[in-house]
Amino acid sequence: MTGYRLGFQSALWAEFLKARRSTVTLLTGLGFLILPVVSGVFMIILKDPEAARSMGLISAKAQLVAGVADWPTHLGMLNMGVSIGGLVVYAMITAWLFGREFVDRTVKELLAVPTPRWAIVAAKFLLLALWLPAISLLIFVVGLGIGALVDIPGWSAGAVWSSLGEMMAITLLVYMLMSPVAYFASVGRGYLPPLGWAFLTLVLAQIAGALGWGEWFPWAVPALLSQVNGPRLEPMGAGSYGVVALVFVIGVVATLRWWQRADQAGG
Amino acid sequence: MPSAIEIDGLTKNYGPVRAVDSVSLQVGQGEIYGFLGLNGAGKTTTIRTLLGMIRPDAGAVSVLGQRVGPGGRGPWGRVGHMVEAPAAYPELTVYENLEIARRLQGVRERGRTGEVIEQLGLSPYRDRKAGKLSTGNRQRLGLARALLHRPELLILDEPSSGLDPAGVVEIRELLETLTDQMGVTVFMSSHILTEVDRLASRVGIIHHGHLIEELDSGALETIRERRLAVRTRDLDAAQRVLEEAGLAAKANERTLYLQDGQAVDAPDEVASLLVNGGAAPTYLAVEQENLEDYFLRITGGER
Repeated sequence: MTGYRLGFQSALWAEFLKARRSTVTLLTGLGFLILPVVSGVFMIILKDPEAARSMGLISAKAQLVAGVADWPTHLGMLNMGVSIGGLVVYAMITAWLFGREFVDRTVKELLAVPTPRWAIVAAKFLLLALWLPAISLLIFVVGLGIGALVDIPGWSAGAVWSSLGEMMAITLLVYMLMSPVAYFASVGRGYLPPLGWAFLTLVLAQIAGALGWGEWFPWAVPALLSQVNGPRLEPMGAGSYGVVALVFVIGVVATLRWWQRADQAGG
Repeated sequence: MPSAIEIDGLTKNYGPVRAVDSVSLQVGQGEIYGFLGLNGAGKTTTIRTLLGMIRPDAGAVSVLGQRVGPGGRGPWGRVGHMVEAPAAYPELTVYENLEIARRLQGVRERGRTGEVIEQLGLSPYRDRKAGKLSTGNRQRLGLARALLHRPELLILDEPSSGLDPAGVVEIRELLETLTDQMGVTVFMSSHILTEVDRLASRVGIIHHGHLIEELDSGALETIRERRLAVRTRDLDAAQRVLEEAGLAAKANERTLYLQDGQAVDAPDEVASLLVNGGAAPTYLAVEQENLEDYFLRITGGER
């Protein structure tokens, strides 16, 4: 077992180094920071209706999405952004993490080494489990800074903590939905199939939400948790979490199985 | 002593295409086995199967006495490999790429990465990003990775590809040193015949997925065709003189070729014959078919 542990540690060390050196890490993090900035702009507009009116269309849109300029609205927008945008941005990270081995043709250097293949796949999933919450946390912290800068009314430490908890829960759900993305990046040996999958699920989630089936459609569940359709009257059922967990398990097992068994004739 | 590599009836299909067809071969320990074939002949498929990257449709593959199983099981800590063009993480330096390999190989000695960088002449590029390396240096990086864990068996796909002539010689010497001094077995594919010719102790020729010939480098010496090449100022006159003496000669632009054993064994007599016949030779040489000619002859000259 020591050998296996060592193999896993080696694989994890390698994944961290690759992620640290990659511009993808920086770019996705920076790119997603647009979220707290946009929310901050909405807050500025909502705070000053006079200025908002003079800005025409933008203020009308801001009214539509946000409502009032206060902390719960601002933080709620961040959570909503992660629950929907995360399905794409976090899928990009996942697609890169798994697909890059095929695009850079480095996969062949990972297959015939003493470190078992499952350890390499597990290390990637573990890295992702740390990377995605880190980005969410960054969005949240920057959101707090921007909120303070804009001087949004209605601060309450309790609301901030509960929003943070919600953000992490949403991130965990989005993370669990990333395992099929990893699978498609591996089987598709690149970036396009997983991203195609991510956009498809995002669109289907919108449709499922609109039809009222969101609670049973895994990719709509994070958005439901972020109360994107207004505050829930009842807490979400365990079944909703169950379907997300089921997707996670299926995706992980399929990815592991593919790495263990599939012919690696290319790359 | 068990074989370092044992391939028994290996067959692999890609859809309707049979890439490798019932290939069986053995490589003894300490041997340098040259695996020759044109592009698409089945070399890389065979190598990937040896490394457990591809599952055979039929047949079995053993490496260092261990059956290469599904899920990538195999004695990989004792095998160094380089499959097709070596790949590296472009944003990582040479050192970092090798550090990843060192850890995945389970090599505990930290200094080993520096050693292998030096061994392959990569010291000036130690901190250069792999994406900015020349093809030759990327090849060296691939070889460094293959040698990092001091393997007993090296499985190399076209190891000299992309190297300049000096680099080719350097790698040849390195492989010779590894086999001579450390008893490393080398299984290398190539389409550069001179490379295999000089290095390999045994050669297998694969063509359209079939292993069509397997020979020792010593055997090659005996089965290669020899011929006598003759040039004179008047090729037609020389050909007439030779034919009158009962020696068949084939003319090829400026040269006559004689394959008759008698002529090849006694070029001096051929010279006298030509001088006496008034067609004195300006050039006379016994030429031995090289591996390339032999290869083209037995594969039907297809390129």
